Amino acid sequence: MVIAFIRTVILYLFIIAGIRLMGKRQVGELEPSELVLALIIADLAAVPMQDYGIPLLAGIIPILTLLSMTMLISVLSMKSVKFRALLCGRPSIIVENGRLHQREMARNRFTVDELMEELRMKGVTDISTVKYAILETNGQISVLLYADQKPPIAQEMALSPEEPGLPIVLINDGRVLDHNLKARGYDRVWLDKQLKAHHVKRTEEVYLLTADELGRVYFAPKEENK
Amino acid sequence: MKRMWIASGILLSILALTLWHSAHITRFTQELTALLEEAEQYAEAGDWAQARQYNEKAHKQWEDNDVYLHVLFRHDNTDAIFASFHEVEEFLECEEGGEYSAANAKLIVQISLLAEAEQLTLQNIL
Repeated sequence: MVIAFIRTVILYLFIIAGIRLMGKRQVGELEPSELVLALIIADLAAVPMQDYGIPLLAGIIPILTLLSMTMLISVLSMKSVKFRALLCGRPSIIVENGRLHQREMARNRFTVDELMEELRMKGVTDISTVKYAILETNGQISVLLYADQKPPIAQEMALSPEEPGLPIVLINDGRVLDHNLKARGYDRVWLDKQLKAHHVKRTEEVYLLTADELGRVYFAPKEENK
Repeated sequence: MKRMWIASGILLSILALTLWHSAHITRFTQELTALLEEAEQYAEAGDWAQARQYNEKAHKQWEDNDVYLHVLFRHDNTDAIFASFHEVEEFLECEEGGEYSAANAKLIVQISLLAEAEQLTLQNIL
C-alpha cells in the first residue's frame, strides 16, 4: 500500500508538470491540478469497481492521496504567489499594441489560427485594433481593445437608460409559476389581461412569458397552437 | 490554513499507516516462514506429527488474519496462498516427503513475495 501511495504522489506531480509543459492551450477552463485530478480520479475509481480481485483500498488510498494533495496545493497556491505561478503559470501577453508576441505564442504552443479564431469569437477581426490580448492561466483569452475601438457605453454618451432588472419567467411551457408571479407583484388577474392582450385564451397555449422590473413583457406562444 | 493542516494530516496518516502495514506484513510473513521451515525440518527428520503441528499453526495464523489480508492484498495472491496451505497439508497427511518439500518451498516463496511487494524500495516504486 505504501507503494500505491508513493506512486500516486509521483504520478500526480509528474502529470501536473506534463500539463504545465503542454502549455495553457491544453488546460481548457481548469487549472492544471484540477485537470489532473479530473483525468485520473475516475480511472482510479473504476479499476477496483470492476475488478473484485483488487482490494477497495487499492482505489481508496490513491484517491484520498490525490484529494489531499489537491487540497494542499490549492491552499499553498492561495497563500503563495510564487507557488501559484509555478503551478498555474503566469498570464502571457500575446498581442500588445496591435503587435504579435511571436515568441510568447510559440512558448505557449499557440498558433496564429487559434489566435484569429479566439479574436473572431470575441468579435474582433483586425489585430491592429487590439491593445492587449492576454492568454490567461486557464487557457482563455482576454482581449482589450484600444479605447477608440471600444463600443461607447451609455455613461460616455451622457445617456441614462432605465434599468430593466432581471426578467422573471411567469409561464414556462404552459405552466404558470405562481411563486414568480407573486415575487414580481402580479396576480392571476394581471396574467389574464396579458393573455387577452396577446390573443390567447389559456395559459397552456403559452410557451414562454417573462416580465422585467419595468413591467415589460416578453411573450412566445406555443408553435403547435399557431 | 485549516484545510492545509487537514490535507497534510491525511497525507501523513496515510504514509504512516502504509509504512506500518509494510513493517507488519514483513513481521507476519517472517513468522509464517519460520514456522513452515521448522515444519519442513521435522518432516525431513521423519517427525511428521510435529511437522503437521507447525504447519497447522502457520495455517491458523494465516486464517486469523484473513480479513486483514483480503482487505489489503490482491485476492488472487491471498487465494493462491490459501490453496497452497491445503496442498501442503495434504502432502503432510500422506507423508510424501519430496512433494511436500516442493509444495512447502512454493508456499514459502508465495508468502515472501507478498511481503516483498509491500517493501518501500526503488525497485517496487518503479
